[in-house]
Amino acid sequence: MELREEQVSGVTALAVRGRLDSTTAPVFGQKLEEIVVTPKSRLVVDFGNLEYMSSAGFRVLLVAAKRAEEVGSRLVLCGLSPKVRQLFDLGGFLDLFTIVRSRDDAIAAAQ
Amino acid sequence: MRKPPNLSYGVDDTPPLGVNALSGLQHVGLMSIYLIYPALVAQAAGSSVEVAAAVVSMTLVALAIGTLLQAVPLGPVGSGYLCQPIPSVVYFVPSLVAAKHGGLPAVFGMTIAAGVLEVALARALRRLRALFPAEIAGLVVLLVGIATGVVGLRTALGAGHHAGPPSSIDIGLALLTLVIMVALNVWGRGPMRLFCVLIGMAIGYLAAWGMGRIETVELSGAVAGAVFALPGFGHLGWGFDASLVLPFAIAAIAATLKVIGNVTTCQKANDAEWVRADMRSISRGVAGDGLGSVVAGALGAHGLNSSTGAVGLASATGVTSRRVAYSVAAILLVLAFVPKLGLLFYLMPRPVAGAALVFSSTFIIINGLEIMTSRLLDARKTLVIGLALVFGLAVEVFPGLLEILPPAARVALGTSLVLGTLVGLGLTFLFRIGLRRTATIAVPPGAVDTKALEDFLEGHGAAWGARRDVIERAKFNLAQSIETLASSGVTGGALEAAASFDEFNLDVRVSYDGPPLELPEKRPTNEEIMASEEGERKLAGFMLRRFADRVSVAHRNGRSTVLFHFDH
Repeated sequence: MELREEQVSGVTALAVRGRLDSTTAPVFGQKLEEIVVTPKSRLVVDFGNLEYMSSAGFRVLLVAAKRAEEVGSRLVLCGLSPKVRQLFDLGGFLDLFTIVRSRDDAIAAAQ
Repeated sequence: MRKPPNLSYGVDDTPPLGVNALSGLQHVGLMSIYLIYPALVAQAAGSSVEVAAAVVSMTLVALAIGTLLQAVPLGPVGSGYLCQPIPSVVYFVPSLVAAKHGGLPAVFGMTIAAGVLEVALARALRRLRALFPAEIAGLVVLLVGIATGVVGLRTALGAGHHAGPPSSIDIGLALLTLVIMVALNVWGRGPMRLFCVLIGMAIGYLAAWGMGRIETVELSGAVAGAVFALPGFGHLGWGFDASLVLPFAIAAIAATLKVIGNVTTCQKANDAEWVRADMRSISRGVAGDGLGSVVAGALGAHGLNSSTGAVGLASATGVTSRRVAYSVAAILLVLAFVPKLGLLFYLMPRPVAGAALVFSSTFIIINGLEIMTSRLLDARKTLVIGLALVFGLAVEVFPGLLEILPPAARVALGTSLVLGTLVGLGLTFLFRIGLRRTATIAVPPGAVDTKALEDFLEGHGAAWGARRDVIERAKFNLAQSIETLASSGVTGGALEAAASFDEFNLDVRVSYDGPPLELPEKRPTNEEIMASEEGERKLAGFMLRRFADRVSVAHRNGRSTVLFHFDH
């Protein structure tokens, strides 16, 4: 798994490429924690190049979302492929996150 | 069954009369485009204007009956859905061959035979799906589309009708008609887009008349006379030609496969809780469709087949009530008594008719490609499709290719549809030699490569020609289950995964040393998921159960086996 981070208009855009499983989820979770722990931070996670996501990935995402809510940060997801969107639906996660189609829409929603 | 929110009137609802009538009118407008097929078949048989008009009128009567046979379930006939028939392109191609070789009696007699075959196939749908996998079903549709396009080009350019190159006027008329249809389809909205073919035909017709391509005396004959008249029956006669069995049998099989697809789409569109196809309804739908063609042949009409366009129109308008079928049937019956309608289609200038066929062929071609690529393709399937296409097209490019065969065989095999389908089927069965339908992979504990597991299923899925969406679900279940087992440390020995496939079932088994995997029916709470790895495993188990169509866990002598079953 690769993570690419950049700053766009005060929003941290984190692009995830590859597979999010029990091996890579801890690294992803740590990166999310580093960003959202700052109060009122703005984070966009771009899943456009995500090939696979298991329950480990969903768990770290859930933890990050809770943390963000606690400190007033905002977390927006984007770029879900139909396959990944189906996994979110399967796990009952579609209503738990702000999910938009494109990276630009996500950055606008996060601001 | 729960009505989806996007439908104003579902299949069991009763729309107000105005909505019912307007919906019926829209459907008939769409169906009328295909009246060009019986008109062209009658022309190919060398029929007179009056006979061609009668064939069109009787096709309208057959359509009315066929619509009711499909929408109003009665015993073993009728799916109960609004997926009414049209004069079908799958019967158009063999009907042209029959018309040229045996005249209209051959067309009608063989249409009856094909309809009877389709009714018989309604009882053997499972076997049909096994014998005709998606790549063959898609190939047949693709070949029908190509054949229609070729016929369209020949019709537009007058090939075979006069010596010498096509006239610039014919080319101009064909292009004008085609451009209008394409422009309206791409940039038009609402009714302009929906009726782009009719509008294109109308403008092409007017342009042809303006250029003097329609004899005024012919048009006067069409305009004169009573508006309403009883359809003629003088053209009735039925013949049977053994050399035409193959083309019509393939047409019947293609028609059956189309009904399966259409009724399944109707089921999905009318039930928000749809999970899998109801085969009893599909079987009744196929029987109703076949009976419609039997009636058509008996009445001296063109072969019929369920319309994908009608299914799409119903969904798009949000009115899928089966009661609309009564409006459709009533309007069709009224039109059957307007012989001028048949004349209009008979007199249609060839370039205009040809352009309409070329336009229609594009959607059929793409539909065939979509069906073929709905399954994973490997080298075997690629060769099946590629070689079948090349051999099928060879007949169109080199008409003299089959001169070495006896005349009867030339008729039977002399179309791209028949030769291509036969080559495709032959290669499909040949390539099944050596193809194992089960596969296993051993996963050493501690080193879980989920990508390798997914690749394992992807590769075998392609070899088996499995549906892409089913393989995707199975891939997730295999990778997630083994990841969960490995991370929980319960494995005392090697994990092993096995996949087995037939046309109706995909089973993935994961075997390991350790206690049974927990697969909760209820989703763990967010707090449970976040609290511990135990919560994460429960989430994994919940998702695994939901993604498969059926799960089971067995435990014996310290060894557990989890079975994920996927309906195919």
